Amino acid sequence: MNALAALALADFRERVRRPAYLLMLISAIGLGLLAVPPVGAHWSVLVLGGFRGRYTSGYVGLVTALTSALWLTLVGFYLVRDAVARDERTGVGQLLAATPLRTPVYLAGKLLSNAMVLGSMVAVLGVTALALQLLRGESRAVDPVALALPFVLLAWPMVLVTAALAVFFETTPVLRGGLGNVLWFFVWMLGAIGGQSPKAPFGGLGLPPVQLPDGAGQDVGLGLMYVDEPLRTFDFPGLRLDPGFLGGRLALVAVAVAIALLPALWFHRFDRPARAARAGVGPEPRTVYQGLPRTAPAHGGTVLRLLAGELRILVQGAPLWWWLGAGALALAGLAAPPGPVLAVAWIWPVLLWSRLGTQPATSGAAAILGAYPAPRRRVLAEWGAGALLAAATGAGSAIRMAVTGDLPGLGAWAAGAAFVSALALALGTLTGAPRVFQAVYTVIWYLLINDASTVDFMGALRDHGRLTGPSPLLWAALAGAGLFAALIRTAWRQARR
Amino acid sequence: MCAAAGSNSLEGMLELLAITKVYKGQKRAVDGLTLRLGPGLVGLLGPNGAGKSSLLRIAATVTRPTSGQVRYEGVDAVARPDGLRRALGYLPQDFGVYPNLSAVEFLAYLAAVKGLSARSAKARIDELLELVNLTHAARRPLGGYSGGMLRRVGIAQTLLADPRVVIVDEPTAGLDPEERVRFRNLLSDLAADRLVLLSTHIVGDVESVAGRIVVVKGGRVRLDGPADELLRGVAGHVWEVTVPPEAAAGLQQRLLTTRAVRTPAGVRLRVLAAGRPLADAAPVAPDLEDAYVGAVHR
Repeated sequence: MNALAALALADFRERVRRPAYLLMLISAIGLGLLAVPPVGAHWSVLVLGGFRGRYTSGYVGLVTALTSALWLTLVGFYLVRDAVARDERTGVGQLLAATPLRTPVYLAGKLLSNAMVLGSMVAVLGVTALALQLLRGESRAVDPVALALPFVLLAWPMVLVTAALAVFFETTPVLRGGLGNVLWFFVWMLGAIGGQSPKAPFGGLGLPPVQLPDGAGQDVGLGLMYVDEPLRTFDFPGLRLDPGFLGGRLALVAVAVAIALLPALWFHRFDRPARAARAGVGPEPRTVYQGLPRTAPAHGGTVLRLLAGELRILVQGAPLWWWLGAGALALAGLAAPPGPVLAVAWIWPVLLWSRLGTQPATSGAAAILGAYPAPRRRVLAEWGAGALLAAATGAGSAIRMAVTGDLPGLGAWAAGAAFVSALALALGTLTGAPRVFQAVYTVIWYLLINDASTVDFMGALRDHGRLTGPSPLLWAALAGAGLFAALIRTAWRQARR
Repeated sequence: MCAAAGSNSLEGMLELLAITKVYKGQKRAVDGLTLRLGPGLVGLLGPNGAGKSSLLRIAATVTRPTSGQVRYEGVDAVARPDGLRRALGYLPQDFGVYPNLSAVEFLAYLAAVKGLSARSAKARIDELLELVNLTHAARRPLGGYSGGMLRRVGIAQTLLADPRVVIVDEPTAGLDPEERVRFRNLLSDLAADRLVLLSTHIVGDVESVAGRIVVVKGGRVRLDGPADELLRGVAGHVWEVTVPPEAAAGLQQRLLTTRAVRTPAGVRLRVLAAGRPLADAAPVAPDLEDAYVGAVHR
């Protein structure tokens, strides 16, 4: 038990002492502001047949707890999933592996630490909810139990499940990498939609059955919604604590613990072969020092070689199946009109694009490159490599559009290739981590394949052959803005080095 | 003891002037340090946390000083680092590589960043891989290299553009004895007409090759001069005495001890002291480790 507590506490301390943690807490306050809008606001995250609850402790607690159950689960996963990977990266895992610490205890410690991080955000939301109740002023009577109960019963079990799934994804071979980050969005969406039904397993998100006032519709919705008129109010009576509901929440907690501990069956416990052993490096030939290199260095044009180098770094380690898939999609682009084919071709490299702007730091090569000249040239080359990757994977569609004379489509394609690379580079350079692009791009892509033409950056959506999305010029301008942001960030880093 | 701390009269190819580095949390890693460095090998010695790595990162333009100036051939290298960066070969203490690239690919990329032409880059990469004895593994992914092999890749990238200034931080960590010898030879050759600034806490790494030794502690220069001058500074202050094992610990607390070796006759202590520390202590010739310990504990 001591080991579990010590492990969780050390991990928790490590995370909360990073500047990003403060940002997380501030964003939790923002989530609260979204959940409890001003009285005349035209948005709501919980609509109950055209009504919302009066801002009493019970209702404010309910709506903020549901908001955190809905969105903290999406974002929280990306925020906490680095606990095991960090131990591997820093070598702490090797030290722990050589102790009597049992694998289930290690996994439980990571679960606890994840839950503490997300739980602290939920706690901040709780305090925010109280402050907003008083600020909005519809009810000054503070009922701490009614306020806290939704957090305990609705929000906390959901963030615990998120914390557990983060551990599960991190310790399961296929899910450990970027594929898991992309997959999580779809897992979350499934849970967010299916979990709104009171008949969902374990009570789902915990949306309670509410006795609505006369004149209310039957539609109940959870999610950020625009409302034409400010919602009418009713008095929410508070959560009903029937044994079935409570049992479901307890079962959810048990399931979360089981999810986190299950990987004990296959977790590698940092037992991975040393690098040299993996490569089968044997004894070295014996040579003697024969003096300095004879060839004098000469300077020359490097644009293409730098671009090739960045491209090589970008695609390094991509497995054979990835190349085969990319080739098949390029061929499919030749055979079928752009649309779904191009969309699929441009989700395929998402994990590679997400490396842009992050690789020198994540690999440790930044320690060397910091003393190399021309950092801005490298940024431009990185962007070029990302755009080339987009061009290569979407080449089939481009060739088809060129042959059929679809010049507007070709323009959108070119702007899209520039945009996706710039977006990845900007987010990677600004955040230093690939996860943000993976999450953001997956959401954009999901909206796009669901016909949201506003985000059609690649010209995939057509109406009788005509592009329905914003002008390619807009995407080209956004690409320029992204590239500019990456350059500014690089210059700022140089100035603050 | 020699104490030419602060600066000396060597031609200033690379000048570190009144450098101070204060990190967040108020730790003062470098404290008003001045060094004027010309061609030759300068060994930077100091205990852990002395500020060596911070100083090297500043000299290599990786980190900005909180105050003070870095000048390379008269140009402000803090405000305009690219001139020094083009002339620089820098090997940090800890660094990473792109694990799926081979040594050739990684070095080719770095050569392009340095602005080398394709032809000269290819020739130099081949020669450098031979120099660091990695020709046999040149096309293998770097992710499969051992720590010592990666260190040698680091050394190779340091020399890519035939730098006029070579800054290496703990370069021999992870190298086997043969490779250390090879590396010392290499440094000697480089230092003939270039500035080589080598940081280490192993005195033996610089003893035989450094023309100038700088001892740093607490972010300040404690000792600065040629090795023989530093030795003259402690001449007559080094003693050896053999004592019973039970007395050794107490004496080591009381006397500045540079070595303690257990022998059948007892524990032989090597001690730094202005006068004879014990009645049966015998004077011995100083070595660089004595001078270093003396400087650090002054």
